[in-house]
Amino acid sequence: MKKYLSVFKISFAQEFAYRLSFVMWRVRNVMQIVLVFFLWDSVFSGTQKIIFGYDKAKIITYVFGLIIVRAFVLSARAQDVAGEIQRGEIVNLLLKPVSYFKYWITRDISSKALNLLFATCEWVILYLILKPEFFFQKDPVSLGGFFLLVALAMFIFFVLIFIVSAITFWMPEAGWGMQFLIIVVAVEFLSGGLFPLDILPSAIQKILYLTPFPYLIFFPLQAYLGKISGLLLIKGIIVSAFWALTLWLLMKTIWYRGLKVYNSPGK
Amino acid sequence: MFVVYLAKVEKAIIVDHLVKNFEVTERKPGLIGAFENIVSPKKKIARALKDVSFTVAKGELVGFIGPNGAGKTTTLKILAGLLFPTAGVTQVLGFDPWERKTEFLKRISLVMGQKNQLWWDLPAIETFELNRAIYEIPKKAYKESLEELVTLLEVEKLLNIQVRRLSLGQRMRLELIAALLHTPEILFFDEPTLGLDLVAQEKIRNFIYDYNRKHEATILLTSHNMNDLINLARRVIVIDEGKIIFDGILDELIARFAKEKIIKLTLSKEMDLKELEKIGKVKKIQFPEVVINVPRSTAAVAAAELLQSFPIADLTIEEENIEDIIRKVFRGETRKAFRK
Repeated sequence: MKKYLSVFKISFAQEFAYRLSFVMWRVRNVMQIVLVFFLWDSVFSGTQKIIFGYDKAKIITYVFGLIIVRAFVLSARAQDVAGEIQRGEIVNLLLKPVSYFKYWITRDISSKALNLLFATCEWVILYLILKPEFFFQKDPVSLGGFFLLVALAMFIFFVLIFIVSAITFWMPEAGWGMQFLIIVVAVEFLSGGLFPLDILPSAIQKILYLTPFPYLIFFPLQAYLGKISGLLLIKGIIVSAFWALTLWLLMKTIWYRGLKVYNSPGK
Repeated sequence: MFVVYLAKVEKAIIVDHLVKNFEVTERKPGLIGAFENIVSPKKKIARALKDVSFTVAKGELVGFIGPNGAGKTTTLKILAGLLFPTAGVTQVLGFDPWERKTEFLKRISLVMGQKNQLWWDLPAIETFELNRAIYEIPKKAYKESLEELVTLLEVEKLLNIQVRRLSLGQRMRLELIAALLHTPEILFFDEPTLGLDLVAQEKIRNFIYDYNRKHEATILLTSHNMNDLINLARRVIVIDEGKIIFDGILDELIARFAKEKIIKLTLSKEMDLKELEKIGKVKKIQFPEVVINVPRSTAAVAAAELLQSFPIADLTIEEENIEDIIRKVFRGETRKAFRK
């Protein structure tokens, strides 16, 4: 376990190595949120009080909740894995008595801890400036379900990245493109990272619920907002756990095979 | 009456009928070619190792040589557990490398001249600390090991400087430390002196020599640098096109195939160069520099004669290029194979 504590520490130090780009990244995050906030704020400034089943407080909560949940779920250091495989740098870790998967999950957690720290500060500042109508969930079951779902979502996203990165073993050039497709198109769009999924036609929603994507962002936020509770919440947690387990097993199989065909390029 | 005592030689590395094939996609150049690659990629099997067998005893230092693409690095990578062998048996310290057991990984190291494990944006000491944790090196052993390595490689002042600010030679020495902190019993070196200046090469070489002695470490080393081999390895294994074509004492290899030495002269004044033809084969004249090849056995005599009868400012006797010798090895072996 001590190994991974050291990995955590060095990752943290690494994150601060490029201070300017770190600051720029945070600025971008804030800008994104501010833009989305003003968009929805102006939508609700009309006469309509409820749109797509969201009143102003809840849509604003959804948007602000996005900051935190995205910071947790979609900020994965493991996005470097495909590049490591392609450049052959993965051998540095394969040579060491350390689990590659656990190594990256540790780096991920370290990156997330940092991200959360800053996201929380930004959240507080934005809250004080914009003074939005915000919905605070007080029901412990909804809150507990929310945290559990976020934890599962982090794991699912992490495993997804590992699965997609493994494609690089077979197609060294495809890694980056595939990652772009999965992360930017699939995840951002299908997970509710850009807008609440229940504004989509119900047929599309039904299809979406057959994939792991809604469980990354949309579903946890629905649990927070109390839109999903009781049996539906429990069912959602079970489905999310099912995806986590299935994808994890799939990842293990793919990596076992990938490492066998790997030709360790670079020299 | 005889009492036969059989010393059991402990084998650190066993390679038996090792085969490794790679699947490679053929690339066609240009835009249309790139498109064709996507639509119908042409796969081809490259046979990197055809049938490789050898063993290395504990504490031995073996040079592993051959032309580019012969299969040296592939063999090292299989032995270090990075590549999955297509067929054959490999055993290192009794382990199957591919399983990459913790106990195995703690006892080996692979140093590649072109690979870096140091964290680019951080001082090297951070990587060392990380390795201490990963290899679970006890604090005391780590301190001793680090102190020894740092002194030997003269890098005291570099430990706290961001790695990206260091020169290649400085970085290589720190890479070596990172790879050796856990005092591995088995070391695989892939071109350890590649791209280094002569002083740095010498340092690394001395270091490898001492490490081998001090820790009774088993070392397998690939190099294109003749000096690495002359100074370090007694035994060499020559590999070409995925097959072993020589396995024995280095002197034997050189005696058998390096028939000539190279004498390089700097003349102090102009003279009739015809006279030089009598000494040996004149390979290059570019006044005042002259290069002459002479038979190995008469190199000393030839040098003495040159110094006596010619106006010479400087004279050096050099070994033939390792590549030349290896090329001869190939030719010799091919001929022998035909005779059989």
